[in-house]
Amino acid sequence: MAAAPERQWSDEQLKSEEVPKKELIKFIQDSAAHSFLAEHKLLGNIKNVSKTAKKEQLIEAYNQLFQSQRFKGTEPDAPTEELKAVKISDAPKDVKTETVDEGPPKFTKSILKKGDKTNFPKKGETVSCWYTGTLEDGTVFDTNIPATAKKKKQSKPLSFKVGMGKVIRGWDEGLLTMSKGETARLEIESEWAYGKKGLPDAKIPPNAKLIFEVELVAVD
Amino acid sequence: MNKAFRSISMALDQLSDMVQRCQTVKDESFAPEDYDLFTAAGSTCIEQGDSAQVLSILVDEKNQNIVRCMGWNLLGPLVKMLLKKEDKTLPHCHAILLHLLEVCSPKELLVGLLEQVEEADSGSIAETITLLLKPLQTVLLRLGIRKASSVGMALSTLLSQVSRLPVPVTAEQEEDDVFGLCRCCSALLQFVKPFVEEIKEVVKDNNSISKDNELRVELLKFCMKSLSEPLLEVQLKDTDTLQRSPLRDFATEILIILSDIGESLPDLLSRNVLRRRKVPGFLEEEVRYPKESLACMSHLLFVDHIAVDIFPAVFSPIFVLQCNMEYIELLLSRTEENRLQKGLELYEKSLVRVEENSLPVDLLELKTFFSVPQNLVKVMTMCPDQTLRTKGLKVFQLSIDKFNTEAKYKFFRGMLKTSHHAGVEGYIIKNIKNQIDSSLKPGNSNDWFLGKHLLPLLRLVLCLPQGPETDLLQNLDRIMESLNLLRYMLIRDKEWDNETGIWTELYKIEDNYLKPMRTGLNMSKAHYEAELRSTKENRKIGLKEAKASVCSVTVGNEKLPNMTPETQIQVLQSALFTFDLIESVLARIEEIIEAKDRPQS
Repeated sequence: MAAAPERQWSDEQLKSEEVPKKELIKFIQDSAAHSFLAEHKLLGNIKNVSKTAKKEQLIEAYNQLFQSQRFKGTEPDAPTEELKAVKISDAPKDVKTETVDEGPPKFTKSILKKGDKTNFPKKGETVSCWYTGTLEDGTVFDTNIPATAKKKKQSKPLSFKVGMGKVIRGWDEGLLTMSKGETARLEIESEWAYGKKGLPDAKIPPNAKLIFEVELVAVD
Repeated sequence: MNKAFRSISMALDQLSDMVQRCQTVKDESFAPEDYDLFTAAGSTCIEQGDSAQVLSILVDEKNQNIVRCMGWNLLGPLVKMLLKKEDKTLPHCHAILLHLLEVCSPKELLVGLLEQVEEADSGSIAETITLLLKPLQTVLLRLGIRKASSVGMALSTLLSQVSRLPVPVTAEQEEDDVFGLCRCCSALLQFVKPFVEEIKEVVKDNNSISKDNELRVELLKFCMKSLSEPLLEVQLKDTDTLQRSPLRDFATEILIILSDIGESLPDLLSRNVLRRRKVPGFLEEEVRYPKESLACMSHLLFVDHIAVDIFPAVFSPIFVLQCNMEYIELLLSRTEENRLQKGLELYEKSLVRVEENSLPVDLLELKTFFSVPQNLVKVMTMCPDQTLRTKGLKVFQLSIDKFNTEAKYKFFRGMLKTSHHAGVEGYIIKNIKNQIDSSLKPGNSNDWFLGKHLLPLLRLVLCLPQGPETDLLQNLDRIMESLNLLRYMLIRDKEWDNETGIWTELYKIEDNYLKPMRTGLNMSKAHYEAELRSTKENRKIGLKEAKASVCSVTVGNEKLPNMTPETQIQVLQSALFTFDLIESVLARIEEIIEAKDRPQS
């Protein structure tokens, strides 16, 4: 929800030719709540409103709007038109899954190799890491580390924006506690991994606790 | 014995003469007539089966300049002969081809060979391609570092022809491979191998590769095009159905090639979700990564489980769903049944990985989370194929189950406002009832299906769009579900609890809903009863056509012949039974309300 709009014209400006009727109507239509517009008879095509409303009426409405603060989004019930013309976001959003604090973290970390202890990733930054994932019984279900050191030189570590819900929660939370260069062992309970469903494609059974050895190579 | 020698054809004579004459020409400055003569005579010889003689002329040291300049013009007839596969001439023709490949200019050979591929008639596409792939590869490799655009041109021509081949549908058809699609796909993989290896070498030597490396870009284009045609068309069989599947191998290899040339599969998957707009060269990026190809890739990964071991197992299922919605939207917006099938499969597979009640409400702000259900409704209500309609409904319900409570609320509200289809509305209303029921259970209370938000939602449910004039038959599904919902709430939520607020709202519901419904119902019943009576009488009197047909049926702009009186009676009767159905629930509701009004005895 945008912050409340600000007055951009003084009374003198409004009364003068400087602010044309249509511009004033547009501003009010863009900023005011639906019911406000309905009460002041300012709904509809700008051309039509301009024909029927006098400048004095518009100035009064403008002032009233700021007095009453009845801007868009302050009314509880969204009217039908709003939904039909709903401004559906074309710009892709980074949707964060709401993480409510539900108690103790569902992962543990043991540091295998210390990092620089200075460069910690922040939410939204891109991290790159090498990793190996195993089940509790030792089965390796995934890794991005190639077999030979030579091949590792030719591959790229996995990169993604951390803390944004793009990876399993255990990773998001775990990586935020690591510093650049650190290698750690993350043991993640199933609730912060793949939960009841598991990931049969990757041979992860339901309710599986996952163990990852992760090396944080780079931060943004 | 010497018969063959004596029957040297005229064409062969002409060829030998011309070649002898041109041996002395300096600097390869041959006259146009020489080219024409060579081509005409040489072609005739080959077509007549004199390939052995032609071969000996072409391999003669003295003739190399001539062959280098003019040899490639013989490709046409040569290829035709090779396709005929006559034992007599085959070895010589092959030898001619090999010689030409060595000696002639690669650029000219490329043109000649691709021409043959392009001109292949539909019956011989597979043969031509499998014949010419190795020669094409040889020629391209001769081009050295300047090969990229030629490789691109070759791949594009080859794929265009391959996509003309019919796609096998059953496992048996894939095994039989009558039209050769499988053979061509396998051969194409062999064809691109050296080029992929070259890119891998570059990556090895430099630890990275420029995104604009020309050869890499051509291979990327090839992979993207393959994903679109033929792979999007193909229904892959799993290992149980078909152990050895060339098409599955092809799909796997394409994804591996993408990975080998430096395209990360997760990055490809999330392109449409994470990209920034208005980046310089944005349009080019769009062209390089066609959405349809990515949709196919996603389906291969998540439905067919192709190359899934090179896809990292760390991404959150909700994020993967978000990425896939773009592709699901694309597939479900098409009308071809196999696109719809793939869209539904991908949607289902993506949803199944997500926990129930976990999708947050902000997802509904994304365009795809609104447009996909709309597309789904179209499939459920208008797709001619019943299996798809049924599957559509199943996936629709699955998607609802995954939303959290607030998201369900917002979704139902949106659907009721925009769907305009009684069946869909009825289905949504049934879901609302289930949510209310669930919310009334201990420990499940929430603000959405109880409390202050429920009543605005109910107002959308308990309304007659045209008041008492609403067509009850057309809106039957919706009406029955709404009445059932109301009845349920009045029974389940005791007046003294009033957890849902329905009792305080009741007087409004009576005025705005129940009374107009009662009026409408009475009117409709009376009308149909009158029609029924008059139809029965007309039948008695033996009138051929009923006076005023209750309904006429039009299919595809053609009005069907009027129903016989018997059929009309059946239709009217059926309508009356329907009204009785509505009546029974309505009466029960009125009863419950009346019981409340009666003083406690």
